[in-house]
Amino acid sequence: MADSADTRSDVVGGEEEQTIGVEEERLMVASQWSLMWLHFKRHKLAVAGAIVVGLMYFMAIFHGFIAPYERATRSEFIFMRPQPLVFNDGENFSLRPYVMGMDAAMDRATFTRTYTVNEDIRYPVKFLTRGDEYNFLGLFKTDVHLFGVDRPGTIFLLGTDELGRDLLSRSIYGGSISLSIGLVGVVFSFVLGALLGGVSGYYGGVTDTIIQRLIEFLISLPTIPLWMALSAAVPAGWSAIQVYFAITIILSLHGWCGLARIVRGKMLETSHEDFVMAAKLSGSSDWRIITRHLLPSFMSYLIVHMTLAIPGMILGETALSFLGLGLRPPVVSWGVLLQQATNIRTVATYPWIMYPGLFVILTVLAFNFMGDGLRDAADPYKV
Amino acid sequence: MAENTNPMLLRVNNLVKHFPIRRGFLKTNVGAVRAVDGVNFHIRERETLGLVGESGCGKTTTGRCIMRAIEPTSGEVLYTRSNGETINLPELERDDLKDLRKEIQMIFQDPYSSLNPRMTLLQIVGEPLTVTKVAHGREVEERVAQLLRIVGLRPEYMRRYPHAFSGGQRQRIGIARALALNPRFIVADEPVSALDVSIQAQVLNLLQDLQAEYGLTYLFVAHDLSVVRHISDRVAVMYVGKLVEMAATEELYYTPLHPYTEALMSSVPKPDPRATKRRIILEGEVANPANPPSGCYFHPRCRYCIDICKEEEPELLEYRPEHYAKCHRAEELSLRGVGG
Ligand SMILES: Nc1ncnc2c1ncn2[C@@H]1O[C@H](COP(=O)(O)OP(=O)(O)OP(=O)(O)O)[C@@H](O)[C@H]1O
Ligand code: SF4
Ligand SMILES: [Mg+2]
Repeated sequence: MADSADTRSDVVGGEEEQTIGVEEERLMVASQWSLMWLHFKRHKLAVAGAIVVGLMYFMAIFHGFIAPYERATRSEFIFMRPQPLVFNDGENFSLRPYVMGMDAAMDRATFTRTYTVNEDIRYPVKFLTRGDEYNFLGLFKTDVHLFGVDRPGTIFLLGTDELGRDLLSRSIYGGSISLSIGLVGVVFSFVLGALLGGVSGYYGGVTDTIIQRLIEFLISLPTIPLWMALSAAVPAGWSAIQVYFAITIILSLHGWCGLARIVRGKMLETSHEDFVMAAKLSGSSDWRIITRHLLPSFMSYLIVHMTLAIPGMILGETALSFLGLGLRPPVVSWGVLLQQATNIRTVATYPWIMYPGLFVILTVLAFNFMGDGLRDAADPYKV
Repeated sequence: MAENTNPMLLRVNNLVKHFPIRRGFLKTNVGAVRAVDGVNFHIRERETLGLVGESGCGKTTTGRCIMRAIEPTSGEVLYTRSNGETINLPELERDDLKDLRKEIQMIFQDPYSSLNPRMTLLQIVGEPLTVTKVAHGREVEERVAQLLRIVGLRPEYMRRYPHAFSGGQRQRIGIARALALNPRFIVADEPVSALDVSIQAQVLNLLQDLQAEYGLTYLFVAHDLSVVRHISDRVAVMYVGKLVEMAATEELYYTPLHPYTEALMSSVPKPDPRATKRRIILEGEVANPANPPSGCYFHPRCRYCIDICKEEEPELLEYRPEHYAKCHRAEELSLRGVGG
């Protein structure tokens, strides 16, 4: 034993170990998720994306509170351009933002409304102020908003639509629908995909063949025409909530296929790893092997895949609603809002009705940046 | 040799493993890869049997069939337990198998793939203890600390993940896991071939120390003849799913009886500290286990091939005491070993 202890000492022994700092020691005891976080953090764009996504969902959850108006509140200001925020109280610079009063007039010759800024009236923006009544998270009714102005002042930061409704508020309300469709759709896809992919990979044989052929068939169908055909088949009499779920399911029809393939592939791949055999040879049950060894080793890939699938769902909903095949008013989603922008003359005259589209672009970009970063961080063990 | 008198631990009779080849849409059987095709050998207690051969000859499959990591197609694997009872492993039910896992363990070739990167050493080395309910809570920690010390790692490392360790250290972790349940018999599938030469010796020494201390028996699979020579008491040479020669190490190395063994010997690198891992390279192609040649499988590559070799398959016979060979001309040829 003695001589081999010598030869071993340099593996085990002192020198190398003593130079190890606190930082390295922390890496050595870092779990998969903390390693992933270290990788992800280095990806600045991805972190920015994650922050934007976070803010968007925060906005979607607390839409009633954040939006200055209720989504259906009308005003006399029809198709009014966005009101700017100013930071002076008439004479001096002030940190407190103001919105200026607007005067409406009717052009007798063209019968269009014109709005002029009234420099003399300024309404200070108030925080935690009272306004329209709304239902806070479906829990209780309240009328406290994050910000607003006293009546008769108005604060239409993104302008108004053809009924004089605040586009910013409507975009915020729309976000809660559009963003949740993405999330709910991905959850549907995840459940279906993980279940069928797992069954396919675990049992193999005929089951596997059938599921794989089904997936190949579904994937070979072109997305947009399939979605259009299915949504066109949604009965007109359905309630808003029924349509919502129908559209979500239609959108996730494709999503689960990709996920099922990943689950199956990873399942086959990891079940051939030696550590899985080692676990079997130590007497681990199938259940333990699946939950402790197989699932954790590809969970991160599933999360990446889901993150990258959400923007696709959001775009899908937007596209369908934009074409009039998806959600229908009075439900407000980004797609429904953009439906007004189908008329080129309206767009040319009132370009601000395109603003809800900015929310879509911002969200999709943010999701993609975040997904990119997650993908790079998903396997912290690769060399 | 003193080992010859030890009681028998394992006797493998006619072990066969065929992997079906399925093709086409309906996945019909169009043949089989005869990965292991009638292998016979025995191992005595506290002995190390080296199993060598070129890549793809079925060494891993043999080891895994013995472990029941894969199900053998046919054959007997008679294992004698510590209480003297002899059981045939391929016939065991799942529940009895679980009990037996404590006695037979495995060390893997790839120190990266064999440790789950998402578990700490405590979880990895402790897994056999927890799933067999041998130990609970603090006991697991204590036993893992002890095991890490045994394989030459610091117990404080148990909160770390495998990525903090080098290849050699990872292999030690794998060894600690294999030792967790106090096994008697360990199948080591090329345990050092993925390591640097300088580290190989350390791990081999560790394995030898453990054998002496805990009375372990090894089936040591390798393709590196110098490694096998270093650690084995006896060596079995495999070619395309069959054993072609088996003898005590020095006898086999100095006076081989089979032309394949001679060819392997001629490719043993001279002792060179800088030499890296080296696969055996022989002339000609290894026979295809899905479609082996007629007669003696080695005849297309054999320098001594005569007519009978192409038609009749030779048998594995004991030409000298404890020295088996599978060659028609084993008696008449005088082959060169490593010495001459
Ligand atoms: N699961 C499997 N399915 C089909 N064929 C297999 C399977 N496993 C191994 N084989 C085949 O069986 C033969 C023997 O393989 P095995 O892994 O036992 O060889 P080996 O001697 O361990 O080789 P190496 O030195 O490369 O590890 C090879 O031809 C291989 O392709
Ligand atoms: S049986 Fe013939 S072909 Fe086969 S190894 Fe012996 S001499 Fe060579
Ligand atoms: Mg092998």
